[in-house]
Amino acid sequence: MNCLEFRRIALADPRRLEAEAAGHAERCAGCKDFLVRSLEAEARLASALRVPVPRGLRARLLDRSAFPRRPLRRLALAAGLVIAVAITLVIGWPRNDPLALAGIDFVMFEEAQAIADAKPTDAAVLARVAHHMGVSLPEQLGEVRYVGTCPFAGTTAYHVLVKSPLGKVTLLLVPERPLASRAVASAHGLEAAIVPAVAGSVAIIGGSGRSISRVETLLKSS
Amino acid sequence: MLGASKTAFEIAVADYLDDLYRYAYWLCRDRWLAEDLAQETVLRAWRGWSRLREARAVKGWLFTILYREFVRSAARKRMESEPAEALRSEPYDHADPALAIDLDRALRGLGEDSRHAILLQVLGGFSCAEIAAVLGSSEGAVMTRLTRARQALRRSLEPGETDREANEA
Repeated sequence: MNCLEFRRIALADPRRLEAEAAGHAERCAGCKDFLVRSLEAEARLASALRVPVPRGLRARLLDRSAFPRRPLRRLALAAGLVIAVAITLVIGWPRNDPLALAGIDFVMFEEAQAIADAKPTDAAVLARVAHHMGVSLPEQLGEVRYVGTCPFAGTTAYHVLVKSPLGKVTLLLVPERPLASRAVASAHGLEAAIVPAVAGSVAIIGGSGRSISRVETLLKSS
Repeated sequence: MLGASKTAFEIAVADYLDDLYRYAYWLCRDRWLAEDLAQETVLRAWRGWSRLREARAVKGWLFTILYREFVRSAARKRMESEPAEALRSEPYDHADPALAIDLDRALRGLGEDSRHAILLQVLGGFSCAEIAAVLGSSEGAVMTRLTRARQALRRSLEPGETDREANEA
């Protein structure tokens, strides 16, 4: 090992030198001095990064992480109320469709990573896929900001981000996923509808029911 | 197999919470956002606790969740990794406010990946290989980022020292 190699290693991780690097520092006074100064700088950096932790942080993080410890009576009352509301919702509220809900989860938790990871798809490929699925992608939809592919519901979806007049809308064209009827979901402040196409299905996820209806109408306009 | 109870979870994660918060703090430069980020991380960790098999993986797992949660929230809220000036460093949180401002500026001067790498190593104590796993990168790339990050930080924070080294070289 020469001095240049040693210094690269010491700058990458001065606190975890392997035997060969440590041996070099023992034999080379310049590198030993470099290591000492690196470790001092490291200690100053570590000390500067160790900002004070807010009082009670641990308790707050752990208490809120799972089961809040509340008096049983209050818990029982709350549970009763939740059950009553749940019964009302189950009877009178449209249920979240799992596939539409998966669309919302995709937008919430995976979309950014999917865009970062994926190789953008050619718009011409998307046009061919849409044609095959019997779906129209007219210009009135809005500005197409991104086209790519991503895994969705156990198959591959064509992922399209549209800046529509009513806000951002995500489309997932899933050619291999046929659907019998339209289904919807609502979660995390987002709305989703998954609609059957001639071949496969299309998930539409947006910030409002209105934006989804608009896109849905345009998709069927061909 | 780790204990399934909440107590087992608390014991396993308790030692890492302070540094988890600090990592979040230097990503957001805002103590409230940092606490929210740490909170979301712990919540997700609890939800996935039953799937974790090895106690020694807990720390890396927590920091990985926080890193991913930060990336997600940055995209979700259109919160840039380098937030508006008003949200930037809170020097009053620090024992040496001037150093905090300089450090904040120096960290912002690093690339996104280099900043994550140096914070994970100095605060989390992770090796290059472990950081590579968190960031989804190669160990060699992480080593390069760390080397450059330290050089840049030393140039910013200790200009006299780097001048001396340059003269010696």
